Amino acid sequence: MTLDLPIGLQYAIVAAVVLVALWIFVRKQLPGPLRKARIALATPLVRDGRPAWMRALARRIAPPSNGGTGGSACGGCDNSSQCGPEPKKH
Amino acid sequence: MSAQAEPLRLALLGNPNCGKTALFNQLTGSRQKVANYAGVTVERKEGRLVSPSGRSYALLDLPGAYSLNPASLDEAVTRDLCRGFYPGEAAPDVLVCVVDATNLRLHLRFVLEVRQMGKPMIVALNMSDAAARRGIAIDRAGLERELGVPVVETVAVRRNGARALLELIDRVAANPHPPAVQLPADADLHAETRRLLGATVSMPARTAKIDDALDRWLLHPFFGLATLAVVMFLIFQAVYAWATPVMDLIDAGTAALGEWVGSRMAEGPLASLLVDGIIAGLGGVIVFLPQILVLFAFILALEESGYLPRAAFLLDRMMAGAGLSGRSFIPLLSSFACAIPGIMATRSIQDPRDRLATILVAPLMTCSARLPVYALLIGAFIPSREVWGGFNLQGLVLFGLYMAGILSALAVSWVMKKWRRDKGEHPLMLELPSYRLPNPRDLLIGLWERALIFLKRVGGIIFALTVLLWVLLTFPAAPPDATLPAIDYSLAGRIGHALTAVFAPLGFNWQICIALIPGLAAREVAVSSLATVYALSAADDEAAAQALSPVISDGWSLATGLALLVWFIYAPQCIATWAAIKRETGSWKTMAMAAGYLFALAYLASMLTYQVAVRLGAG
Repeated sequence: MTLDLPIGLQYAIVAAVVLVALWIFVRKQLPGPLRKARIALATPLVRDGRPAWMRALARRIAPPSNGGTGGSACGGCDNSSQCGPEPKKH
Repeated sequence: MSAQAEPLRLALLGNPNCGKTALFNQLTGSRQKVANYAGVTVERKEGRLVSPSGRSYALLDLPGAYSLNPASLDEAVTRDLCRGFYPGEAAPDVLVCVVDATNLRLHLRFVLEVRQMGKPMIVALNMSDAAARRGIAIDRAGLERELGVPVVETVAVRRNGARALLELIDRVAANPHPPAVQLPADADLHAETRRLLGATVSMPARTAKIDDALDRWLLHPFFGLATLAVVMFLIFQAVYAWATPVMDLIDAGTAALGEWVGSRMAEGPLASLLVDGIIAGLGGVIVFLPQILVLFAFILALEESGYLPRAAFLLDRMMAGAGLSGRSFIPLLSSFACAIPGIMATRSIQDPRDRLATILVAPLMTCSARLPVYALLIGAFIPSREVWGGFNLQGLVLFGLYMAGILSALAVSWVMKKWRRDKGEHPLMLELPSYRLPNPRDLLIGLWERALIFLKRVGGIIFALTVLLWVLLTFPAAPPDATLPAIDYSLAGRIGHALTAVFAPLGFNWQICIALIPGLAAREVAVSSLATVYALSAADDEAAAQALSPVISDGWSLATGLALLVWFIYAPQCIATWAAIKRETGSWKTMAMAAGYLFALAYLASMLTYQVAVRLGAG
């Protein structure tokens, strides 16, 4: 038996896979710009007077804070931007 | 709803190589890397643990320190964290000072220094089983009385080896108090250490007989170096001899999967993405997992055995001659797994000049991401036959490539030494641990971690780049009146053809040029990219499912294959390594210099290889 999906559906699946691949690429290779972009998107949504659903959405968009436990071991070289302590400020 | 109480913060600290990380893993169920040499932990790690009483704790694993007067970056991290000066970190509530019970002469001095901080503390006599085996008798109660802090025996590598420590932590946490005994601020800690040893420890001999016997051979100026060369040589032979059967199985499985999926799906973009993109691309990389595991099984076993610091000692003179120090050995060795932990490990090098030299040459060590590329090219161009009485030629070439990376690193650091004004050398001070048989559990955990790291990369960045490259190789589609293969009209095809103008002197065709670009994100992607490019260029499904190795051996000249092998010895490292160099040096200029010199070296060495090979008739 051969699987023969309509061409429109095939392109939709391909587009979804490509979007996932693009997300992985940006998350792994460009974590800094991604973080800035997420903050820039989330900030206007949490201003005073915004409805609750918009604030909830902003919390989802905003990147996780840098604090907390952090500092896990380097899991290979694709998450290098997160490993190691923050450079000292003093 | 009330806020949950913060758990008590405990910190594990002690001299390097006393088993802090093994104890951390035992207490928290974590799987941080452990090894039998100093300097494995260069940053603090945090985990959670719940004691038998049900109380919850936050446990910090701090970098090893010989003193709280720091001589290196990692010692400074430990000091600052203990004193509560580390930005964004509260000071620990209880210090757990871990000491190697077989080496109290060195470790007790640090305990005395930590005690002077006046914080609640516990002393964990780790490796107490090894001490007992050697006949070292420690009067634990006497030591506890003399130190004025609770002392407990632990065996970090044995299941339940830290149970007594957990119970003691509960008792101390319930009633934390500063040490009962304190010395004057100007007390001689060495003299106090000698007094404590005399009062509470009886030593049968300074080192075990077996250590002395082994060291007579393994640290010998000639036999020691010869043994090191033989060990390294045998490892690379084993990489080929042992991994091939499993690799053949994976290769056949991938090809069968590609054919099966191709035969079950009608032609279209989805079938092309699955067969030519994902299965061909990822299958081309995953086939090298057995070789990576064989290589790391040896490296982990050597790490655990205590042999590696001896190798550093043996190579110190050679490294000093090239402008590095023996302390560079561990960071450079770590770079064989990945340059990033290697670059981070340079924090244990006190001298900034030596540290910079080590950071700049670390990318020349052959990281595991290069192994798939080497294995593909060696499999395609080097015949698998025996030479010199039974040695596998492919294994010999792989050994040669690793050696070329090491020798190039020495040459580069030698040139840097010639350029700098301060030509002074710094003596190597290195603690030689006792030999021990590798713990099978730690070996298996280490291999499991390596396999997971590799598979995560295959399912993460390699998958992502393979899919994105497939898009670039597929769109835009060929026009109706096309005369060339469809891939030539794609965006990636056009970029590849444009890049051949730059790489033609190296003998690189447009397919190779395409593969070099995603290879900057992760070197193994060069293999999956080649697999996808050739699968999409194939005339039919059967040809597309063919393994990559015979395709390139038929399509490329030997000169091109050799030039690409040489390219990857020096290849400008992955972007993540650039980021690590920038972060560790704080300098864009240094990062640009590292990328620039590696690109220049790669280009010149590849061009030379190609041109010489062509003139010798290999073109």
